[in-house]
Amino acid sequence: MSKLKDEVDLLRSIPMLANMPANKLKLLAFASDRVSYPEGAMLFEQGDEADAAYIVISGSADVLVSSDGEAKPNKVAELGPNSFVGDMAILCDIPRTAGIQANSQLDTLRIRKEHMMDMVKESPTLAMAVLRELVQRLAKTTQDLSQAREEVSSLKAS
Amino acid sequence: MAKGKILPEKDTFEAANRPLDNNLLRYVWRHTKAEQIWILFVIIASMPTYFLVLDLPVRIINEPIQGEGFEEADATRQFMDLTLSVPDWLGGFSLEIFAGFELSRWPYLIALSSWFLVLVCINGLFKFYINTYKGRLGERMLRRMRYQLADRVLRFPIHHFKRVKGSEVASMVKDEVEPFGEFIGDAFVQPVYLGGQALVAFVFILNQSFWLGMIAVAIIAVQVTLIPHLRKRVLVLGRMRQLTARLLSGRIGEIVDGITAVHVNDTSNYERAELSSRLGKIFFIRYELYQRKFFIKFLNNFLAQLTPFLFYVVGGYFAIRGTLNVGQLLGVINAYKDLPTPINGLILWDQKRVDINIKYAQIVEQFNIKGMSDAEMQAPSTEPVPPITGDITVSNLNVVDESGSTLVEDADFTLPINGITAAIGPLGSGAGAMANTLAGLQEPTSGRIKLNDSQLADLPQSIRGRRFGYAGSESYLPQSTIINTLLYVNKHAPLVTLDPNELGVNIHPKTETEAKASGNTLLDYYADWVDYDAMGISGPEGVYSKVRDALELVELDETIYELAMRQMLSPKETPELCQTLIDIRQEFHQRIDGSPLSEMVEIWDRTTYNEHATIAENLLFGTVEEDADFTADHLLDNDHLRTVLQSTKLDRDMFDMGVELAETAIELFADLSPDNPFFEQLNFMTPEQLEEYPPILGRAKQLGFDGVDETDRRMLLQLPFGYVERRNRLRLLDEELQERILQARKVFHDTLPQTMQGQISEYDLNSYNPLNAVRDNILFGKIAYGLSNATEEVQETIRELLIEKGLEDDIFNVGLQFDIGTGGKRLSENQRQRLIVARVLTKGSDMVIFNRAINTLDARSQERIISKVLERARGKNGSKPFGLLWVLTTPSLAEKFDEVMVFDRQRLSQMGSPDILKNENSTYVALVA
Repeated sequence: MSKLKDEVDLLRSIPMLANMPANKLKLLAFASDRVSYPEGAMLFEQGDEADAAYIVISGSADVLVSSDGEAKPNKVAELGPNSFVGDMAILCDIPRTAGIQANSQLDTLRIRKEHMMDMVKESPTLAMAVLRELVQRLAKTTQDLSQAREEVSSLKAS
Repeated sequence: MAKGKILPEKDTFEAANRPLDNNLLRYVWRHTKAEQIWILFVIIASMPTYFLVLDLPVRIINEPIQGEGFEEADATRQFMDLTLSVPDWLGGFSLEIFAGFELSRWPYLIALSSWFLVLVCINGLFKFYINTYKGRLGERMLRRMRYQLADRVLRFPIHHFKRVKGSEVASMVKDEVEPFGEFIGDAFVQPVYLGGQALVAFVFILNQSFWLGMIAVAIIAVQVTLIPHLRKRVLVLGRMRQLTARLLSGRIGEIVDGITAVHVNDTSNYERAELSSRLGKIFFIRYELYQRKFFIKFLNNFLAQLTPFLFYVVGGYFAIRGTLNVGQLLGVINAYKDLPTPINGLILWDQKRVDINIKYAQIVEQFNIKGMSDAEMQAPSTEPVPPITGDITVSNLNVVDESGSTLVEDADFTLPINGITAAIGPLGSGAGAMANTLAGLQEPTSGRIKLNDSQLADLPQSIRGRRFGYAGSESYLPQSTIINTLLYVNKHAPLVTLDPNELGVNIHPKTETEAKASGNTLLDYYADWVDYDAMGISGPEGVYSKVRDALELVELDETIYELAMRQMLSPKETPELCQTLIDIRQEFHQRIDGSPLSEMVEIWDRTTYNEHATIAENLLFGTVEEDADFTADHLLDNDHLRTVLQSTKLDRDMFDMGVELAETAIELFADLSPDNPFFEQLNFMTPEQLEEYPPILGRAKQLGFDGVDETDRRMLLQLPFGYVERRNRLRLLDEELQERILQARKVFHDTLPQTMQGQISEYDLNSYNPLNAVRDNILFGKIAYGLSNATEEVQETIRELLIEKGLEDDIFNVGLQFDIGTGGKRLSENQRQRLIVARVLTKGSDMVIFNRAINTLDARSQERIISKVLERARGKNGSKPFGLLWVLTTPSLAEKFDEVMVFDRQRLSQMGSPDILKNENSTYVALVA
């Protein structure tokens, strides 16, 4: 069962999942699929209904966001191994806020929404971890926003 | 084709319109008068032979054997002498017609015995003829009755179907009339025959002694008065028995139809209790019936035995007194022996008659319905029905349903036949009821609906059913293929006779004669009924494009393609297509070779292990017939496979794998509830099985492969069969083990016993696998796990290839042959509604009524389909090929129509073009906004 062990280790490397009991992580590993994408393939598009989250095993992917009125999406970030992506959309049942495109041969572990939700419901530890993650992201977003506002006002002023 | 011959005459309709006779005997007499008289005649004609057969043995014994008349050595007797003699009281002379042959004792015995043999044969033939004739008579009547009942069902007023249960009607037409067949043959013959016999015996008794005859009369009189009295209750019980049995079949039908409600509400025990209570009622009725029946029988027998007692006592008294001589008494007693049999027979016949009459009356009552449509309205017509034009004018229309609630109130409007009208309003507002009334599915309570100058209700069904199209929201479809479901709406009359040999059907040479003799329709079921002219095509060859166009319009073409890909084809039935698909398979393999797709498919190869398939699939390397004994769940039941596993020692490895799989499953899943979504991922075990494994696992670890018992071993061996290396990723299969499985595969196939050869179809690159779907046959392998979009891309490539090779139409045709299942349940409701809309559009009617016909579709699909239908209805350059009346579920779509009827609280509140209605402050604006 060495291979599942790799996947369990991968899951453990995700901060949100780090404190989960070993058998739960193993179950999650057992139930998730390994999916690989060729370069250029879309994992999902912005606005899609969210059905799964992905952990990058190897390779890298672009995060693409298109704002209103723009035909071509902008690359806003790049994901490398061990990044967890698409988690918020499946936990909060919202459409994808960004698209993900493989920019090299990409191997991922795909965790289905219903499995993730089940884990959150069953495990208070995980629920707290999710909450913490959300708050941290919110804090970061707030920080980014105020920074952006400052920049806007300084631009207006000049 | 002689159309005049097959189309029914006017008097057939008149006969069909008459209510059924209330009395079975009258019904039988009406239809079988001539046959009944003939059979009676034949019976009388058979009497002399019958008498001779009884008489001859006495003569054989007395004359040649015992030697009566052969007292002298050279004595002879006349054989076959014919003398006509007149009884003494008529003058008493005799006339010799034929002197006969003079025979001595030995030849005389042979002659008499041979004559006996001849008579036995003749008598047997008579009996054979009479029985067959009666049987045929009964069967014909049965056929006639069933046909008439079914014919009536087809003419019941629509609202009546709210009250009847399908299974009750079926039980009446099928089971309840069944006993009539036997009775009808005897209906008139039996009483005459038995009555005659009884009369003869009775006259003989009277002749011997008036008073003894009177005793017999008295006893019979007691029987005749007492028994009907006793039978009253029996008749009531008989009626109850029939009704309760019918209700039972109705209830069972309901349970079957509503089985989902039973399961989702856990009411199965309530249903059981109900059934048990019904069966109990039936039991007590039947039991009481038996008690009474046998009591009557007992009484009958007793009275029959009482008569001889009286004869002995009374006759003996007279004999002792000397008023009656002993010879006479013996004669009377002898003659009386012949009396009970026919009398009992008569009583039995009468009992049967009454019983069957009750059954009959019970059935007739259900089929003599008020308001049945005139048979002539449904007269078949092979002539084309000319298109209708003009207007439908509705004045003062009121529709009230059976419960008294108003459905439509005081509606007045005019609809042009080629108008494009929408009707909107909430459910129950009257829009739907109005549409149903126009379609003839609801009877108007008052008011008039006229098509130009004639009442719509007076038009024959050939006009209403051909020039109008209708689709409601109800989507029940009888079991058939998709193509036949589509063509059904254009099957009005047999148009072209087909050669039954080409169709592969066996038609009895007497089909038509017999149909006529039973008063059935002579219309040829096997003819081509499809009205191609109405569809706007010249013949069968135009059907495909017409149908495909309609299916594309309702956006069902993708579904049909998908169904085709999942169909199984038999190379025996469609050899060419299957061969082409094998070529496509090879083409597909060439195409993916070297492209990224090649990683997405792992092709079956006899010499390699397919990591994307289960171990079972790898072992069997073929598809197993569904009813074979070694389908995936029961592999270990198969002796051959078990032997192969043992001889290759693969069972030991699989045992170890089973232990590991069980361990993993228990570790990961033991504390999850059985409905947890994670269980979907556990492909080798069900949640229920999981509970059984911990003790097995404990024993297996302790005792090992050789120590555990057969049951435990099987439980563990079963697990790895469903294991897929690439999916489960537990690394249980190393190369060495894969190699051993391949060897086992080879042994399995090399030593396959004869009996299993038809049950498994091995993967063979060069032959079509009839047990696999079309797509799997082209693919000939497994789609890889763990590659994004692999399934979609592979399927798309196959589709492109099929289109490129010009096979799209063939595949689509395969899809059209899909069997939609009972009630069309193999299609979703939404697909059924689309199918019904598609077929209405192929019908070529002048006006199509859609009554919330696509209400189960999502709003966007509804809008798309309505727009496309509107485009068709408007035609090119304003040609307006057909009119529309569409009761919409989404009122906002009314803006696309030329005219809108707005219904509100059962009244037509507004009618006009959407532009005009928009400017009024009205219900329309409120609904559409």
